[in-house]
Amino acid sequence: MNSATWYGLVGALLVGIGLYGLIVQPHALRKILAFNVLGSGVFVLAGVVARRGAAVGLPGDPVLQGLVITGLIVAFSATALAVALVLRLAASAGTVSLEAGRAAPEAPDATGAEQDARASGGT
Amino acid sequence: MSLTALLLAAALGVPFAMLVACLWRPLRDRMLDTLAFAPIPALVAAILGEYDLPLTVGISAAYRATLVLDAPGAVLLGVASLLWIAAGAYAAHYQRGQPNADRFVVCWLLALTGCLGVFIAGDMAVLYLLLATLTLGAAGLVFQDESAGARRAAAIYTGLALGGETLVLVAMVMLTQVMPDGSLLLRDAAAALPTAPQRDLIVALLIIGFGLKAGLVPLHVWMPLAHAAAPMPASAVLSGAVVKAGIIGLIRFLPVDAGLADWGQWLALAGMFTALYAVAIGITQSHPKVVLAYSSVSQMGFTAAVIGMGIAYADAGAPLAAAFYASHHILVKGAMFMLVGVVAASALSRLRWSLLLAIVLATGLGGLPLTGGALAKIAVKDALGDGWAATVAYVSAIGTTLLMLHFIRRVRANHATDAAAAADPGLKWPWLVTAFGSIVVPWALYMGLPMGTLTEILDPKVLWASLWPVLVGAGLAWVLARGSDHMPRIPAGDVAVVIEPMTVGAARVAALFERADRTLRGWAVAGVSLLALAALFGFTLVNR
Amino acid sequence: MTAGIGTPGGHWLVLALMVPVAGLLLAFVAGGRHAERIALAALPVGAIATVAVALQLIETRAALVYSLGNWAPPLGIVLRADGLSAVMMVTTLVVLIAVALFARADFATPAGVREARAPFAFWTLLLAVWAALLVVFLASDLFTLYVALELVAFAAVPLVSLDGRAETLQAALRYLLYALAGSVLYLLGAALIYGGYGTLDLTLLAARIRPEPVAIVAAALMTVGLLAKTALFPLHLWLPPAHAGAPAAASALLSGLVIKGSFFLAVRLWFDAMPAVMTPAAAQLLAALGAAAIFVGSTVALQQARLKLMIAYSTVAQIGYLFLMFPLIIGMPQALAAGALTGGMLQAISHATAKAAMFMAAGLIYAALGHDRVADLRGVARALPMTVAAFALGGISLIGLPPSGGFLAKWMLLSASLASAQWWWAVVLAVGGLLTAGYVFLVLARSLTSTEAPIELRAPVARSREAVVLALAMVSALIGLAAFAPLDPIQIGRPESFNASFNEPGRMQ
Repeated sequence: MNSATWYGLVGALLVGIGLYGLIVQPHALRKILAFNVLGSGVFVLAGVVARRGAAVGLPGDPVLQGLVITGLIVAFSATALAVALVLRLAASAGTVSLEAGRAAPEAPDATGAEQDARASGGT
Repeated sequence: MSLTALLLAAALGVPFAMLVACLWRPLRDRMLDTLAFAPIPALVAAILGEYDLPLTVGISAAYRATLVLDAPGAVLLGVASLLWIAAGAYAAHYQRGQPNADRFVVCWLLALTGCLGVFIAGDMAVLYLLLATLTLGAAGLVFQDESAGARRAAAIYTGLALGGETLVLVAMVMLTQVMPDGSLLLRDAAAALPTAPQRDLIVALLIIGFGLKAGLVPLHVWMPLAHAAAPMPASAVLSGAVVKAGIIGLIRFLPVDAGLADWGQWLALAGMFTALYAVAIGITQSHPKVVLAYSSVSQMGFTAAVIGMGIAYADAGAPLAAAFYASHHILVKGAMFMLVGVVAASALSRLRWSLLLAIVLATGLGGLPLTGGALAKIAVKDALGDGWAATVAYVSAIGTTLLMLHFIRRVRANHATDAAAAADPGLKWPWLVTAFGSIVVPWALYMGLPMGTLTEILDPKVLWASLWPVLVGAGLAWVLARGSDHMPRIPAGDVAVVIEPMTVGAARVAALFERADRTLRGWAVAGVSLLALAALFGFTLVNR
Repeated sequence: MTAGIGTPGGHWLVLALMVPVAGLLLAFVAGGRHAERIALAALPVGAIATVAVALQLIETRAALVYSLGNWAPPLGIVLRADGLSAVMMVTTLVVLIAVALFARADFATPAGVREARAPFAFWTLLLAVWAALLVVFLASDLFTLYVALELVAFAAVPLVSLDGRAETLQAALRYLLYALAGSVLYLLGAALIYGGYGTLDLTLLAARIRPEPVAIVAAALMTVGLLAKTALFPLHLWLPPAHAGAPAAASALLSGLVIKGSFFLAVRLWFDAMPAVMTPAAAQLLAALGAAAIFVGSTVALQQARLKLMIAYSTVAQIGYLFLMFPLIIGMPQALAAGALTGGMLQAISHATAKAAMFMAAGLIYAALGHDRVADLRGVARALPMTVAAFALGGISLIGLPPSGGFLAKWMLLSASLASAQWWWAVVLAVGGLLTAGYVFLVLARSLTSTEAPIELRAPVARSREAVVLALAMVSALIGLAAFAPLDPIQIGRPESFNASFNEPGRMQ
């Protein structure tokens, strides 16, 4: 198989690993990492597309390169935002899980706490 | 702008302006005393307005709102505004000093605007808007006391009314599919109905939807609850004028010359069944307001039957006759509700003349000769024909007399215990005016409209035909009075008892949905849903 | 690459876009209490540009186009405003103005403090949401739309956790991660599209696309990605805690506007970019999810003990309504589809205004009572009449009573569903209206119940705030008057046969 197909398979594999991690892993940081793996997989696939559709003389389609670069920046910003949230969550609740029951509420909100907990859903 | 257009605009505009004025507290506090003046432009419009001269409002051909007057609409509009005026004067005294008077005023004006408006609505959007306004106002009036009974009644009323309106909305949209070019006029709707491909479904939806508003069994369950729970002046207009919205809806949408013969028969059957069923349940009730509510159900059923017979036999005079019949009921029922309040505030000794007048009205509803009721019965005789409907009409007249005399007996037992109590003149005068109006106004209408001649009415055969059901009914009422302790106890709203078990079932379904929602909101489940949905979309995009 | 394809008046698009962006940058740099002032100053200026766009559109009855750098696609990027965009721009502006005026009290920087975290964040993020949404409405190629989508998400996520409590941080994190999953799928789809057809521009793509495997996979991925961001059932897990946990003004923005961003993108995708690929079966699936959203969302809303959660679940249900128009457009005759599109967009507009008003009203009630338990709302109508009136008017629009926008939308969708013999959507619309009435009247009945003595308010509520909320609710309740308008702005700039090409690929030129 040629390199494009090989990279395509790698990209698909990364996407698969990323999706698996995003869905299954309970820890928020692992979810963020899984998202990054997922993103990387998509960028590899975009690169493959760029390679196959490359115009004569160019190593790869510049539009898709632009797409990947922008995607990288977006993923980076997203990761930064997510990590900031995780840090703040860890600082205020002492645990980093998206499962509602595990987070201790800051202010005793006796009336709303149970509803909030149920509403926040599980992992 | 022609005089008719101006009058129509004022008929709707004045109550609406008063409603908007309620936004300012100082005006709102004084509004209670001015309630009686709000329907006056509508009364003038009904008397002076020309028929079939529409008032259209719109800036483009996309849509124009239309108001128009025709004979049945004018009759109902005029008489209803009379009742609203009298009831407004009654309310000014009844509600003074009561809590939440400002909420009462706002709901009253909402109901008034909606009620008067449906009689002159010319296109579907305006009609639906006014029906919705009417429902909101009436629901607020029913809710006024905030007692447990009032809450339950308001919830049932609002749910059923909105449900009925939704059915009417679907029927209207189905009609627009077959109407010429974007027209929403009711006139065009009635013309397009006979040839619509889904005619039967549309007619069924319209009958159920408007039947719900008018109180055809088994869609009547809200009426005894709502009319009994509302404050006295509100009950008067609810039972008197508001239920007529269903009648005008049936008249507007179901043309008599359309060949809907079997639907007409069904409607007549349902109407007559309602008329008799309501009497049977009504005589088991002891609360005077509930008895009156059942009487309204019965009379609305009768009116619907008249319309049904008109449709079945293509009788062009049936709509006007039905409107005339309904207009007599408006005044009598309104007067009776006001009487309940007067009796509750007076000692028995002061009530002699009032009760006598009430007996005249009560038997008048059954058809006592020379009362407005007799005229109403004579007017619908042609529409009912000579067959089964006419026979049942006699039975209904007996039943009505029986029920109304039962009411008189129950309301008499409701008098004030203090021997010196006297009703406020502000309560007595509206009652007397409405009561006399219910005797006089039908005569004026009968003479003014092309309904019949004087010699017809004074024919001895006709007089006897009106009298004997009343006598039989009075006899039965005497029997009932003797044996009233043996009557079965049926809760008000009879069939409404199935609502509670249904609510339990609905709650179980709702709990099921909540559990499903909670499961779906788990992260893992939601993640898998994402992927599964993507696959599903891919699959549906492939299959052609 | 020939010269640009702009139309006269196209520069207004740039201006409309630049105002919030410039405001955002300025607010970030100036910091402190200036953020609020800059935001409040930017709104009228942006309003001028938005109104200019709308007027230009109505006058020329054609879309406004501006090509950046005067380069035509596929090399250049084009800003395009058709009727859909203009209508959403105006709605966004109206809701933003109301929210900004409402939020001045909640997010005022305290005296003597140079900068407070929450106010600074809120005003900056308000401008960010506005800018991002404008990009969504004006962009005309799939990649700019991707960037816009992400901008909207990044602006919205911090709004959820403005108060810094652990639950809201969790909700924000959940929202962010799920939205990112969605946008990654979208990106993958866009890459595949480019690989298959060599362009990402909507107009060019519509001409080139065929119902092939690559297009099908891309369409499925992109659609689902957008549904995740719009929180359509069953992908709605993040919405209730996020919208209920955010402060009232933020909830108004989130429920009213942010959701509409990804929804708008879905509309663009289905009707402007890939109509040739979409099948009626897929549209039925989409609307079926919408129907499920309506039933489940409304029933769960009825059972909520807290007002804000009830309103959040109401949003879940109302999002379902937005997707009912899809099967009434794909594969349907032009006139019918046009009516359904107008109905669906009217639904979006009236929901935006009504829901924003309802969230703000709930916020006022919370501020006044110290809680928002539905069971304990007795006497609120007497204490806060304007607030309860605003809630009622918003509810009327959601139920679909005239003369609200919700009624007009319901009428048009009913018309379309009955005309296309898809009567089951008519049933969904009818039942949905009744279910909505259930929870709206539940709240109204509780609050209208009077108490023996007037209830004690924990904090006084300014009349001006109530007036703003009531004004927005009245707008929502009167949108139905648009029926009188001589023209349907939503149809301006629609291609000739914008939905009719699935049977004959390539017919659309």
